[in-house]
Amino acid sequence: MASRKARFEESMKRLEEIVRELETANLSLEESMAKFEEGVKLGKICRELLEKAEARIKVLVEDETGTLREEDAPYDPKD
Amino acid sequence: MPLDDKNYLTVSELNALVRSLVEESYPEVTVLGEVSNFKRHTSGHLYFTLKDAEAQLRAVCFRSEAGRISFDLEDGMQVLATGRLTIYEAYGQYQIVVYSIEKAGVGALEAAFRQLRERLEKEGLFDPAHKKPLPAYPFRIAVVTSVTGAAVRDVVSTLRRRWPPVEILLFPVAVQGNQAAPSIVRALELLPRVGGLDLIILGRGGGSLEDLWAFNEETVARAIYDCPIPIVSGVGHETDFTISDFVADVRAATPTMAAEIAVPRVEDIRRRLDEIESRLIQFAEVGLELRGRHLSELVRSYALGRVRGRVEGAMQTLDYTVERLYRCAREMTRDRRNRVNETLARLDGLDARRVLSRGYAVCSDGGTGRIIRSSVAALDARDVRLTFSDGKVSAEVKEKVNGE
Repeated sequence: MASRKARFEESMKRLEEIVRELETANLSLEESMAKFEEGVKLGKICRELLEKAEARIKVLVEDETGTLREEDAPYDPKD
Repeated sequence: MPLDDKNYLTVSELNALVRSLVEESYPEVTVLGEVSNFKRHTSGHLYFTLKDAEAQLRAVCFRSEAGRISFDLEDGMQVLATGRLTIYEAYGQYQIVVYSIEKAGVGALEAAFRQLRERLEKEGLFDPAHKKPLPAYPFRIAVVTSVTGAAVRDVVSTLRRRWPPVEILLFPVAVQGNQAAPSIVRALELLPRVGGLDLIILGRGGGSLEDLWAFNEETVARAIYDCPIPIVSGVGHETDFTISDFVADVRAATPTMAAEIAVPRVEDIRRRLDEIESRLIQFAEVGLELRGRHLSELVRSYALGRVRGRVEGAMQTLDYTVERLYRCAREMTRDRRNRVNETLARLDGLDARRVLSRGYAVCSDGGTGRIIRSSVAALDARDVRLTFSDGKVSAEVKEKVNGE
């Protein structure tokens, strides 16, 4: 699955496109409605991505073989 | 040439000859370089190499002089060494016999900094064309810094405050001392192997030019240049510029500012989404109004007997459109949803009144208020309400009328 960054970026880009198309293109009601529906769905995707806060901070640790492991932070630097 | 009857020199003779030339030419010289391969021999003599980016020089400091050095030499240190040049004849190796050494002052470090900056700039390491654009919405960010300093707290809290959906991966490194440059280089080599990383923040808090020196190392500069993931650097304070800053894709004045540049503010993005949805709703409204006007025209034509059958079709389209809008409204946040519903209610009412004024009435259930669309439903309801353009009346359904 595409990364959250990619999904968010694409959704925002498409949303801006839709607004532009609605503004400039001479669309039938049917086409406008389809765009409107697509826009509402994309807006929902974006809002969901924003709501899902990744509260965890991880620390990267290199092991003997030179690969990185993600470990939960032993402390919260916000404290 | 003292060849006498020979036409050659022995190695010993040649080395002795060159040694005297070198010693006569350089009885005292001061050289700026970085200490490496430092060793303190059991005899008390110090052996090390002085180097810069392109050349090396063997150095020795004998015990008598070594005792007078006021600080501990260590690898990575920039020093000004004064001594005489000589040749160690046994190895045919030229070296400097150091008799005084001091940490390179700010002036000397600045000179080294300027030289490296010029060389790397000429090589194209600061080329804007090579700089990668930062992602507008990074969700996974690596922070390369010391985990003990204040910088990491500032960066983490700034990132989370502005952009709560962010996932932060801390990569602890030394940011000072002789391990700093290698550990930063290692981090930048390893991080691209971490999946789905959107951005790297490289930083450390303020300090002296010596403290920040790791960020002026050529190896660090090249690691930044070679890293395929966009890097924002934030080293020191506003006035500190390091080579790392020049190579990084974006330079921030401080670690906190690096975090601010790295992520958008979630409120700004939410506001933009609000604006977009408002625009979408506006377009839906316009579409709906056009459709409503079209329907009114059809109704008028129908009343004049010009069209038959098309009114129902147009009404259905309108119903369908309204249905779709309601469905969309359910997906929206509460504020947007209310707005769509209000619009729909307004347009619905507007349209109904127009139609009603042409001589139609809406029949609804007297109890539930639900609109009645068939004679069967009307018989079921018994008590009905008829809505005209100027008001409502209640009525009782008597019986099905046949033949019409």
